[in-house]
Amino acid sequence: MSVFVDKDTRVLVQGITGKEGSFWTKHMIGLGTNVVAGVTPGKEGQVIENVKVFNTVRRAMHECGANASVLFVPPAFAKDAVFEALDSGIKKIVVIAEGVPVHDAMQIRTGSRSVGAMVIGGNTSGVITPEVSMMGIFPYWIKRVYKKGSIGVITRSGSLTNEVTAMVVKAGFGVSSLIGIGGDSVPCTRFAEVLPLFERDNCTDALVMIGELGGTMEEEVAEEIKSRRFTKPVIAFIAGRTAPIGKRMGHAGAIATAGKGTVAGKIGALSKAGALVADRPSQVGELLKTCLN
Amino acid sequence: MKLFEYQTKELFVESGIPVPKGKLVDRDTDINTAIGEVGLPCVLKAQVLQAGRGKAGLIQFASTKDEAREKATKIFSSHTNIRRLLIEEKLNIEKEFYLAITINPVLSSILVMASLEGGVDVEDIAKKSPEKIIKEEIDIFKGLLPFQARNVMFGLGLKGNAFKQGLKILSKMFDIFCRYDAELLEINPLVLASDGKLIAADAKLIIDDNSSFRQKRFTLTRDYFESDIEYEASEKSIPYLQFDGTIGLMCAGAGLTNTVYDLINYYGGSVANYLEFGGPNYTRAVQAMELTLKNKPKVILIVTFGTIARADVMAQGIADAIRKLKPNVPIVTAIRGTGEEEADKILRGIGLEPLKDTESAVKKAVELAAGGSAK
Repeated sequence: MSVFVDKDTRVLVQGITGKEGSFWTKHMIGLGTNVVAGVTPGKEGQVIENVKVFNTVRRAMHECGANASVLFVPPAFAKDAVFEALDSGIKKIVVIAEGVPVHDAMQIRTGSRSVGAMVIGGNTSGVITPEVSMMGIFPYWIKRVYKKGSIGVITRSGSLTNEVTAMVVKAGFGVSSLIGIGGDSVPCTRFAEVLPLFERDNCTDALVMIGELGGTMEEEVAEEIKSRRFTKPVIAFIAGRTAPIGKRMGHAGAIATAGKGTVAGKIGALSKAGALVADRPSQVGELLKTCLN
Repeated sequence: MKLFEYQTKELFVESGIPVPKGKLVDRDTDINTAIGEVGLPCVLKAQVLQAGRGKAGLIQFASTKDEAREKATKIFSSHTNIRRLLIEEKLNIEKEFYLAITINPVLSSILVMASLEGGVDVEDIAKKSPEKIIKEEIDIFKGLLPFQARNVMFGLGLKGNAFKQGLKILSKMFDIFCRYDAELLEINPLVLASDGKLIAADAKLIIDDNSSFRQKRFTLTRDYFESDIEYEASEKSIPYLQFDGTIGLMCAGAGLTNTVYDLINYYGGSVANYLEFGGPNYTRAVQAMELTLKNKPKVILIVTFGTIARADVMAQGIADAIRKLKPNVPIVTAIRGTGEEEADKILRGIGLEPLKDTESAVKKAVELAAGGSAK
């Protein structure tokens, strides 16, 4: 079993004819992803990596069907592309784009939740089930980074994910499923909201969470652990513990989160809830051994 | 992008939110003329982007022209990057409130916040007595509904004309917030003057940088940055922050860069700059190194673990940069990801000894920074 994407997921690629879209379509298929159609307005009739291209999501759905979509469109068009997918009834969407305006992200999050859809991203590497399927941009061919196994991973950062998954593999484990929530201040889906997927997943024995300073997503995970809604072992690594405070958000940000968002606060909340917190990426492996061996 | 107070007040004037009578001056402007328009007593407010201007002495009151001139000179000389002063009439304050609009990422709603106690320490109020903060969550699709605006204004204890004015001000703030893709719009303090009128005494607007493709009205200039290097980096769209340590960072990805920053501190080193050359910038190693060298680091530490950013392309860029810029400091690298074998060859070809592990690379950089310039 896997969360979000597996070999049966029928994936649509929006923006398939672009440089990134065609490059990563090749690699998604290379891993085993079932890519059924592509969409680029005005490019209907083209074929990319043996995948048919359509002008609209509606046409693609009519011809090929799909139950998930991954977007390789520029940030300015991400909102439109997501709503086009939602309009065709697609309930799983991954937004790779880095730099989606925050007001657009709020509309995407509100709009998708109102129809029971899950949108992952923006500013994410996407979602991968190693050795099976992916919707996103992972260097799955580097075996010391993406090996199949029993550790779930949720992350806010692409580059740091490779660093930490390498430590998971080095310690003798592998990854069951990985979801990149993305690095934006308003991600369309939050850490706590994907925990039920991993709780239900019988291939996942423990969860590694890669967090960062700012926001309250890590504190929400601590709440889920504390209230026993998430019961598997959690190992957390949080970046930015020595970052100088306060280049971003003024007054209202601090008031709205009432002192939350610091790395110390996140570590405190997680430790108190029973999660293990790694001081450095290299400790993630040791901590996994402690709780699983 | 955070706007200067005078820019936000420009938007307020256009949309009809009352602001104090004011005049913007620079170092060469004749203060007398400005005060002639504004009147006495007046307040002189440095147009800088840092928070806590009052406490830093960058807001001063004056009751005569001589005093105003003297204080203006003092403010201009106290700080390197003050280009302008806003001279405003001094208000007769009955009461001060706090009124702000921001984003609630958890609910993905727009959050209106208000407090009876305006002024500088509103963050402390939020921590110590959160019940004193009035909050209204606004659905992004429904917008600000009249009952929500009433909740806020009744919550502030406003009545009669002031109440009606408050409703108008909030509704206009909400329009500005949406029209300008704002992350934050704040009036602190919102003043109830002794004549019963509400006035925005201070104003702050932060526009979401990701919306710059459709927000063309305000563009970044040197005025918005503390240092020339930060400005130059911004012009090149390379994320850069300047610090006063000794290790110059060139990393890919915010998460990894933050981690390397932490590890340097963990192993007892200090950071000269934060610089990201990943993502769309991965082919720009030469420019990245040029920027990194400007803050005179003792060591350059390059750490990447890329996806789109190919390791071999980055390594080639670093080789080109070294040939072109001939940096007189040791360089430590841990470049991993797609094409890393090729990257290793390229780096060895220019006499570097590539490392594979982030923590070993950080340790080595910290040692080199502490021990001198052995290459």
